[in-house]
Amino acid sequence: MLSERVLAPADLQDPATFSQGIPQEAFAEMRLRPTLSWTPPSGGDRTGFWSVTRHAPVSEVSRDTDLYSSAVGHIQIYDIDEDALSARASMIDLDPPVHTRLRRLVSSAFTPRHVQSYETAVRARIARRLDALVQAGGGNWVEAVAAPIPIGVICDIMGVPESDHDYMIELTDHLVAGTSSKPLEPTAYGNTTDLRLLPFNSPAAHGINEYARALGERRRAEPADDLITKLIEAEVDGERLTDAEFTNFFRLMVFAGNETTRASMAHLALHLVEFADQFERLRSDPSLMDRAVEEVIRYSSPILYFRRTLTRDTVLQDTPLRTGDKVVMWYAAANFDEEVFDEPMRFDVTRPLRPPNVAFGGGGAHFCLGAPLARLEVAILIESILSRGINLRLAGDPVYVDSNFVNGIEHLEVEVG
Amino acid sequence: MSAELVRVAVDSERCIGGGQCEMLEPEIFLLDEDEVISSVIGSGALSRPRADVVVHRCPGAAVSIVEPQRPSE
Repeated sequence: MLSERVLAPADLQDPATFSQGIPQEAFAEMRLRPTLSWTPPSGGDRTGFWSVTRHAPVSEVSRDTDLYSSAVGHIQIYDIDEDALSARASMIDLDPPVHTRLRRLVSSAFTPRHVQSYETAVRARIARRLDALVQAGGGNWVEAVAAPIPIGVICDIMGVPESDHDYMIELTDHLVAGTSSKPLEPTAYGNTTDLRLLPFNSPAAHGINEYARALGERRRAEPADDLITKLIEAEVDGERLTDAEFTNFFRLMVFAGNETTRASMAHLALHLVEFADQFERLRSDPSLMDRAVEEVIRYSSPILYFRRTLTRDTVLQDTPLRTGDKVVMWYAAANFDEEVFDEPMRFDVTRPLRPPNVAFGGGGAHFCLGAPLARLEVAILIESILSRGINLRLAGDPVYVDSNFVNGIEHLEVEVG
Repeated sequence: MSAELVRVAVDSERCIGGGQCEMLEPEIFLLDEDEVISSVIGSGALSRPRADVVVHRCPGAAVSIVEPQRPSE
């Protein structure tokens, strides 16, 4: 049986495979194969996994939460023990109906209607950062623009005071670094928890949990109009969230609302330089904005993958799968599926909105909660750059985040003219 | 047959309150801000192509098309 499996042509477990961004050649080869590709066990992956790289099966896996579970096993490739799974579980690690009940606690803050109310604040944040960058004549685009904007926006919604935003950036940076080749000391941020039990095996997760707990205490004494207060006061099936449910929720929101939009905004700088003609086109026809935003997000594909685990035997893309098998949805591969996107490597602000890209997920219960917010933030950033006539030039090569999970950029030196 | 009308329905168990349906078809869907569940308002009837867009866009896969009933049923 093993001999019939077609092996993935690159080491998808190794962050180095993603050190120049999306491994387009390997993914292109995998998409052309009639079956899914197999990666044998290595490192923290005890069983091996199947890679899904085409658009249609990514959507199929995303939408069928009964068959492809987020609660059984981990949602990242490496395996963790049962106690570690339950210690770190947030709604992203659960299946309906439990997932649905938790998600509804926060979803009203992220509906398209509600997100409109954040526009003025988002615009002001972006203006401040862009104006500072222009005044300085350039700098590290990630530190100056891409990182502070999304964390500022999500922290405002959560209720984290402005004075703590930099600390949140620092902690979430270290979170992804937990699974990289340069992890923090286990005792960083006063961590006393077994790393095994922490998300990304990172002591920064302990730091975030401690911060959330303290802020929660403050809001319990003095409620405010923010998500922290809402989570503190929320009841699910007549019960308050437990301490772990609350801190895990907070950590998920800060990570997901930050790291992802930050990656899109970082990549946007590359797009602006490399595809300047496309942005000229957008400038002359602002009605293309929705499409341009979607194209930036497709081309960036900030989250490279999520994993699911089979609850029954099935067949997917002519590949027999067994209960307990792991399937990895490579969104970054499906977003360049030539069956779905005409000339996928072309960056095209006129690309139709349908079929949709899967950067926010392939649909179904776990579809990105913050998608409307991310779209708003990216749209306002593009609009603000164009209206100021900001001309970016690259002053160095992008340094990618050391991760096979987030397609992030850590450092990108730019000059502004 | 592009003018064919179909009825749509929301499965409240699956609805994750994404609000896409209300944004696309505000006269057909209403997102309850407290319960964070969408429901169909009014006739719930719209053209098949527009219904298809909502079905496809619904992040929770909660919107479905109710096929027209046969007269004999």
